[in-house]
Amino acid sequence: MIGFLRLAIFGTVAAALSYWALLIYSRSLRREALEKEWDGDWHEDASPEARALFIEEGMAEYEHSLRRKLIWLVLVLPAVVVGVLIYLVNYA
Amino acid sequence: MKYVKWTFLAVILIVVGGFLHYTLPQHDIVRVVNTYQERQDLNDWTRIFWSSPDDQSGTLTNRDVQFISAIQTNGKPMVYRNEDTGWNWPPYFKFDTASLQTEADDLKSNAENPKWAVITHYGWRNELFSIFPNAVGIKPVAGPDVRIIPWVNIFILTVFLIVLLTIRAMWRQFKERSIDPVLEDVGEAWDEVEDRADAAGDEVRGLWGRFKGWLGTWQGKPRK
Repeated sequence: MIGFLRLAIFGTVAAALSYWALLIYSRSLRREALEKEWDGDWHEDASPEARALFIEEGMAEYEHSLRRKLIWLVLVLPAVVVGVLIYLVNYA
Repeated sequence: MKYVKWTFLAVILIVVGGFLHYTLPQHDIVRVVNTYQERQDLNDWTRIFWSSPDDQSGTLTNRDVQFISAIQTNGKPMVYRNEDTGWNWPPYFKFDTASLQTEADDLKSNAENPKWAVITHYGWRNELFSIFPNAVGIKPVAGPDVRIIPWVNIFILTVFLIVLLTIRAMWRQFKERSIDPVLEDVGEAWDEVEDRADAAGDEVRGLWGRFKGWLGTWQGKPRK
């Protein structure tokens, strides 16, 4: 059982770290895309405040997007893979 | 420096490649000729190649290990160990050693009337060090010539590559967005410091120059 606990603890820590890193990465990509989108278009009000507002609105939208939610798979998938492996190796 | 770099890269490649070669599943087409159980010493360095089943005391110096001996399609012998990996590395989550031994027993055959089977295993066979690959699964196949596509390896290596590329992309994004702007700021700040130092230098030279010029007038030199 100690082996299972070790796997569970280290696996959870590794998955949490990957989740955190992917979260930051994905957010950074979205912000960069929003910045480029603003900079590429013509705007009546091209002040830095309007740009910041546009980006913040886009980021707020991103926080509810599917892509943001899919990152949860990093925490879920490894456990599913372990379950499938146990079935395939021992019972299939 | 060139040789150091290439040697370093070669060593890394060999270590990673060896690790993957040892750990990833491989398929052998064999016919099983015997299964047996033998007591193995666990107190030398080859301990790293034996498994550490969960239900075993960590202080054991020897224990019984099950083996499957087989003949490959090229006629050469191959002996597999049959051990639980449990929850430990490598992550095969194999708990069915006894069942596997039974299946192998069921597939025993001789050269006159061969029953071919594909054994999935990981690990290396080395006669010198007495190390054995660990059998993970066995299933009967039609004949010695069946073609096996290593889907699991294709999948794992693809995922491995994707993970590596993702880490690289993450690092690049982090560098572009978080490190480079700071370095630019530092560079700009440094330029400013240099400009100011130059200006200050000019000023000092100016003062000193004027002083020297004034001294020179004592000797009848014209001021510049």
